[in-house]
Amino acid sequence: MGIMSLALVMGLVGCGNNNTGTNTNENAASPDAGNGGNAAANTQTANEPEAKPEPVTFTYFNATANKDTETNKTEIGKILEEQTGVNFKMEHLVGDLNTKIGTMIASNEYPDILQPDAAIDKVLEAGAFIPLNDLIDKFGPNIKRVYEPYFNLMKAEDGNIYFLPFSAVVGEYKPNPTIDQGAFWVQNRVLKDAGYPKIKTFDEYFNLIKDYAGKHKEDKLTGFMSLTHDWRFFATTNPPNHLAGYPNDGEVQVDMSTMDSKIYAVNDGTKRWLQKLNELNAEGLFDKSSFVDNYDQYLAKITSGKVLGFFDYGWQVNQALQTLKTETLKNGGNDDLEYFPLPVTFDANTKDQYIDPASFVNNRGVGITTSAKDPERIIKFFDNLLTDENQKLVQWGIKGQNYEVDDKGRLFRTQEEIDKLKDNDYKRQVGIGYFEYYWPMYGQGSTFPDGNAVNPGRQPEVAQASFTPAEKERLGKYGVQTYAEMFSKPDERPWYPAWSISLEQGSQAQIYTAKKPDVQRKYFAKIVLGAPDKFDSLWNEYVEEINKLPVADYEKTMTDEVKKKAAKIKGN
Amino acid sequence: MSVPFLLWLVLFKYVPLWGWSIAFQNYKPAKSFGDQTWVGLKQFRFMFSDDRFLIVLRNTLAMSLINFVLGFVTAITLAILLNELRKMAFKRVVQTISYLPHFISWVVAATIIQTVLSADGGIVNEILMGLGFIHEPILWLGEGKYFWGILGVSEVWKNVGWNTIIYLAAMTTIDPAQYEAAEIDGAGRFQRIFHITLPGIRPVVIILIILNLGQILETGFEPQYLLGNGPNLDYSENLEIFILKYGMNLGNYSLSVAAGIFKTVISIVLLFSANYLSKRLGQERLF
Repeated sequence: MGIMSLALVMGLVGCGNNNTGTNTNENAASPDAGNGGNAAANTQTANEPEAKPEPVTFTYFNATANKDTETNKTEIGKILEEQTGVNFKMEHLVGDLNTKIGTMIASNEYPDILQPDAAIDKVLEAGAFIPLNDLIDKFGPNIKRVYEPYFNLMKAEDGNIYFLPFSAVVGEYKPNPTIDQGAFWVQNRVLKDAGYPKIKTFDEYFNLIKDYAGKHKEDKLTGFMSLTHDWRFFATTNPPNHLAGYPNDGEVQVDMSTMDSKIYAVNDGTKRWLQKLNELNAEGLFDKSSFVDNYDQYLAKITSGKVLGFFDYGWQVNQALQTLKTETLKNGGNDDLEYFPLPVTFDANTKDQYIDPASFVNNRGVGITTSAKDPERIIKFFDNLLTDENQKLVQWGIKGQNYEVDDKGRLFRTQEEIDKLKDNDYKRQVGIGYFEYYWPMYGQGSTFPDGNAVNPGRQPEVAQASFTPAEKERLGKYGVQTYAEMFSKPDERPWYPAWSISLEQGSQAQIYTAKKPDVQRKYFAKIVLGAPDKFDSLWNEYVEEINKLPVADYEKTMTDEVKKKAAKIKGN
Repeated sequence: MSVPFLLWLVLFKYVPLWGWSIAFQNYKPAKSFGDQTWVGLKQFRFMFSDDRFLIVLRNTLAMSLINFVLGFVTAITLAILLNELRKMAFKRVVQTISYLPHFISWVVAATIIQTVLSADGGIVNEILMGLGFIHEPILWLGEGKYFWGILGVSEVWKNVGWNTIIYLAAMTTIDPAQYEAAEIDGAGRFQRIFHITLPGIRPVVIILIILNLGQILETGFEPQYLLGNGPNLDYSENLEIFILKYGMNLGNYSLSVAAGIFKTVISIVLLFSANYLSKRLGQERLF
């Protein structure tokens, strides 16, 4: 097995190199940076002068919230329209996703292209997407280049590809320099007070918080809190998994070599985690309201500065962290009240795996529907979008306006450009707000052949430019330049993430995932808020309740699916 | 003249009953009727054998009954009190204030309730602590046993003013001469209420009871969904939320329809029995 995963790694790297190879060659062939590498691949479609295609407007429904617009009203969209003659009328979701998609399915009328987000299974089941295989073969050299390593995974049971996901990694994989995934966050003042110690284990982390809270009893600080609202409850159930040194695979921990998938909801790690929360609660350091607060109240507490620590995913608390930072930058707020992410594990010798490995999420994507008027033009537009040049355009914006290139060819943004792009309206006006995601794209963490990150947020220069002097100094105390350097490098996990595996409707495994959160919701609150001497009896009650659910069915299904996915990515 | 109405009735009230067939299938959207697989009573069996369903049913009934009784008692009481007021200006102010919350959406109302009941400086906890009844803040929404009470009070706060309107209207139909005659005969204020006002609005009350009994399983969805959370789940989850979780969210539309049929059947039984009972007792009835 070990050899096989090694072979897989090699395989992936191999693909990456091949890509880089061809691209470099293209670049070499036409060194003119402006209309560089893609010109070669692109001549038939966009830049051919004699056959300038008729302008056309397609419809695109994107099942996430944003402002509706036509793409040619944005600067990037305008450039793309000049290349291809294609314009999109973009509509976004207002209200409930399932209702909206359900109405489309019931009426059998769709926009030309559709990004159904979480409702993609229903769309596929309704047969609303057309197969793309032949179209890609004929008109999609760039689509092939980007997605071919993943074709096996993208194929439905019938061997057809129905949609293009957003996570195909191109070039060398680069993790995010700032933390958008899980971490144990702690307030800067706590670290400062303790003299910036190296925090590695679970116990060290909580002792740090306890010490600080003990020294400042009169301030009525909250030691630790947790997010439990609605579907975001996983922020409270996932930590034991991370503490044991696994990345966020969802409900299961997958053995690296055998790919056996086991739930951790009732294992010793979860017990240890709850025991700690229970202990904190008994000492008055846990925020009891954690179990009743909604998401907004939770974010408000983070910005209040009263909370010393919490576990969460960066993308989930980003809003609150940015508010704190803006406050510090603009109104001389308090840098002490901002948070620092730590890769905490149960034991000192466990390797932390908070950062996502290169992953291919294939339960989201954009497809061409059966209602589409001219699939050929659309696929050509998609293909044109996937040139290096256009990826640079949609992710970075317009050169000289949204980003600069230094003499070594590194892309960066000036402070002014960074500040300007914090304004979402401006972002939309340029078109970055519409094109950076939900289109066929190089996945997050991809790199261009010239070594620049495809996603500006992952370019270390950009990340560092957004750090305040205080932040840089603090990172310096730990001998690192970005937050990501605090964390271990991710191991290769070909099936990752297991949470993106979709389960059969009405199956026992699916019923497990529907019922499990309810049991946990109920018992986590009881166990954590209960008296410490009742801990064991409540824990046993909880384990019993979970074991009444179809755990075995779920684990078996996950093990099979994980193996299947890993095998597919290896091309078997 | 009645033909258009009849058509409307058939089109919008009877034709959709066809959709009930979904409850006996493993319904898949976008497939034609002939392509659906028939599963008989599978969905019903799943529903009744699920232990969660019984809890959910209990919650639905309990919350309905609480709302039902509290709704009637408070609305009639407020209507009588308002009816006794002689100062029109004051009466109007009270009425306006009491029915304003009816126009707030539950999303906003739930936030207000959460804030008021919060353990971090919520006014209810502050007052109770100030008065010395409790020593540390109570997590009102975090304990199942309080949930029904909180919901009942919230519903009253939100709807009492609105519900009084119909009773006040009924009271205006009572002949003032009756009050004058009673007063001359020496009836006090309470005697007038018990012997004139209450009997005067009895027909309205009975019809409303019959009508509302038919909707006893419709506890609404929003307050329970918005105020519900992990710790109070065993008390806050009602039929609607159950349907949302196991029907809509899992894409099992057949189960949703089966639950809908179940609700309808119960409602019809209740409606008919209330009507029958009322008839037997010689009171007003619906049909």
